[in-house]
Amino acid sequence: MRAVLLLLSLLVVAFPAFALDGQQILQKVDRNLEPESYESYRKLIDIQPDGSRKEYVLWTAKKGRDKVLALFLSPPADKGRVTLRLGENMWLYMPAVGKPIRITSLQSVTGSVFNNADILRIDYAAEYDVKKAEEENDQYILELKAKTDEVAYDRLKMWVDKRHLLPVKIECYAASGLLLKTLHFSDIKDFGGGIKRPAQLETDSPLYKGYKSVMLWSGLKKATFGDEIFTLNYLPRVEELRK
Amino acid sequence: MKAPQRRRWFWSLVLLLLAAGARADEYSFDVSKYEKKPFELNGYVELKAEDFALNRDGAFYKLNYFGEPQRDSLVRGTETLELAGKLRQGISTFDFRVHADASQDQLADDRNSRIYEAALSLRPKPGLTLEAGKRALSWGKGYAFNAIGFVQRPKDPNDPQLAREGYVMADGDFIWNPGGALKTVAFTPLLLPVSGDVNNDFGSNGHLNPAFKLYALYRDTDLDFAWQAKGSRPARFGFDFARNLKTNLEIHGEWARILEFTKRVTDASGRLTTEMGSATSYLLGLRYLTQGNTTYIAEYYHNGMGYSEAEADSFYELVDAAFAQPQPNPLLQKALALGQGSYARPFNGENYLYVRAQHPDAFGIVYFQPAVFAMVNLDDRSVQVTPELQYTGFNNLELRLRLYLLHGGSSTDFGEKANSRKVELYARYYF
Repeated sequence: MRAVLLLLSLLVVAFPAFALDGQQILQKVDRNLEPESYESYRKLIDIQPDGSRKEYVLWTAKKGRDKVLALFLSPPADKGRVTLRLGENMWLYMPAVGKPIRITSLQSVTGSVFNNADILRIDYAAEYDVKKAEEENDQYILELKAKTDEVAYDRLKMWVDKRHLLPVKIECYAASGLLLKTLHFSDIKDFGGGIKRPAQLETDSPLYKGYKSVMLWSGLKKATFGDEIFTLNYLPRVEELRK
Repeated sequence: MKAPQRRRWFWSLVLLLLAAGARADEYSFDVSKYEKKPFELNGYVELKAEDFALNRDGAFYKLNYFGEPQRDSLVRGTETLELAGKLRQGISTFDFRVHADASQDQLADDRNSRIYEAALSLRPKPGLTLEAGKRALSWGKGYAFNAIGFVQRPKDPNDPQLAREGYVMADGDFIWNPGGALKTVAFTPLLLPVSGDVNNDFGSNGHLNPAFKLYALYRDTDLDFAWQAKGSRPARFGFDFARNLKTNLEIHGEWARILEFTKRVTDASGRLTTEMGSATSYLLGLRYLTQGNTTYIAEYYHNGMGYSEAEADSFYELVDAAFAQPQPNPLLQKALALGQGSYARPFNGENYLYVRAQHPDAFGIVYFQPAVFAMVNLDDRSVQVTPELQYTGFNNLELRLRLYLLHGGSSTDFGEKANSRKVELYARYYF
């Protein structure tokens, strides 16, 4: 009887770990990283092998699972550019050209290690299924497979901090199995409004040896936007949305 | 704590703080620098050098350099300033883009300044915008060409991403999101008046020229229907579409019908006739990104208002005949006049193929992009091939080197141009 009670006690203690399956972990990671609808500022820093840098500053607005746009505020050459993503559709608007053109997730509008899918990221759970979930010390390790071949990375391997349910590291793979890049999250920061998440992301890629890209977050907060904002006709006026 | 230990601890702390300070500085992000301002001004300055190898057998060399000392080459320097600004007050924004350039070569100095755009916008709500002023619209999905660019100046296929001068107009923009498969609908009506000095290069005087574009995002396809009423120009309507067939493959197209279009055509003796009829222009294009990160853009363009190979031949024969006779002569006057008019418009043939390949971050150098593009006149098989190197790795500075190579025999589109080769280098600094 004592052995049965002991076994039951162990099961009760262990239950939360088993109850949280991979898909649930991924959904919590998504919500812990960002509210479903939000605005934020980001700085992208490209560091070249000789140490020289190029920096971009973007204002981002996201609504729901699959509507997101990014407005370039700096550098001057890119100021006023807007990238829009609706599901798997992406466009780039350049003020001098005056019309949006379709772009793909694998391209990079900045010409850096970050591609368009990194800059216009939507929820991981919207794009990936969890194929395998493991525990290792104080981390979960999730192996994710893209739901469709439209997604920029075919597979992801995500290390998730158990306590905060936030990603620590993500490896991004092509369908061929080639490691495309590794994302390292750090500097967990309280943005207010119940949002506590990494404020820094460093990326390196075996395809860009010696180069490194960093993304910094600031001013991340919940926000509501009309659907009209996420349309091609609105892109020339996105800058007027900022407070 | 003993003294040596205290000292070690102290220096460790100093080093740690220095390291932390360096790191914070390394990745600092002060958002207040990027707050929206009531007035903004930015733009670029550009220095450009061009070296032309002149084509002394070409019809357009003969016409453009008539009366000038004959030469085989020309070197030109051009300085450009483009300024764009915004002034905001509540729901209104006034924005402008002005362009000025000065160029010098062995034959002439030239200066130009233009207001490209200057318009006041009112946004009473997100889905509604009303505008009045000079505005450069860009209708159509084509990269190098546009068939439905009814209310805009034609783009230069050599530099399709350059800003262009607009027209004075009043326009509105209404956006809906019906939901379901029809994700977005947007309606853009406008009036483009031609009167006196206002828009006098658009067409004949005394017309309001209403036009509109209706956009829809249906499932994952962009669709536009465009219309322009008969007025300063013949009436026209058309549509375009664009969609991604795969994540790395985009297809786009345009189709336009121009009603009661007139075309002045010359024969080899300089006799002009005016043809009237409806014309159809269309294009079909692809954009493909390879796994190796090379982008290919291909576009086939049929210009329904262009000159057929036989019509162009007659014009070239006229020029040859004009310059074969003692000068001046009546044929020469006719040839010179036509050489300033519709025959001088770039890409005025009927069928063109545009192909471009570009590879960013080539040879492992981020921001270095080699590219090459070709334009082929499919009727006479003449071609322009343009390799280019671009580097944008220096902050706010863009460098581009291009070589234009034109190839074609006599009486062909690119074979009769004023130059057979051109080297172009520019440095553009954004601020």
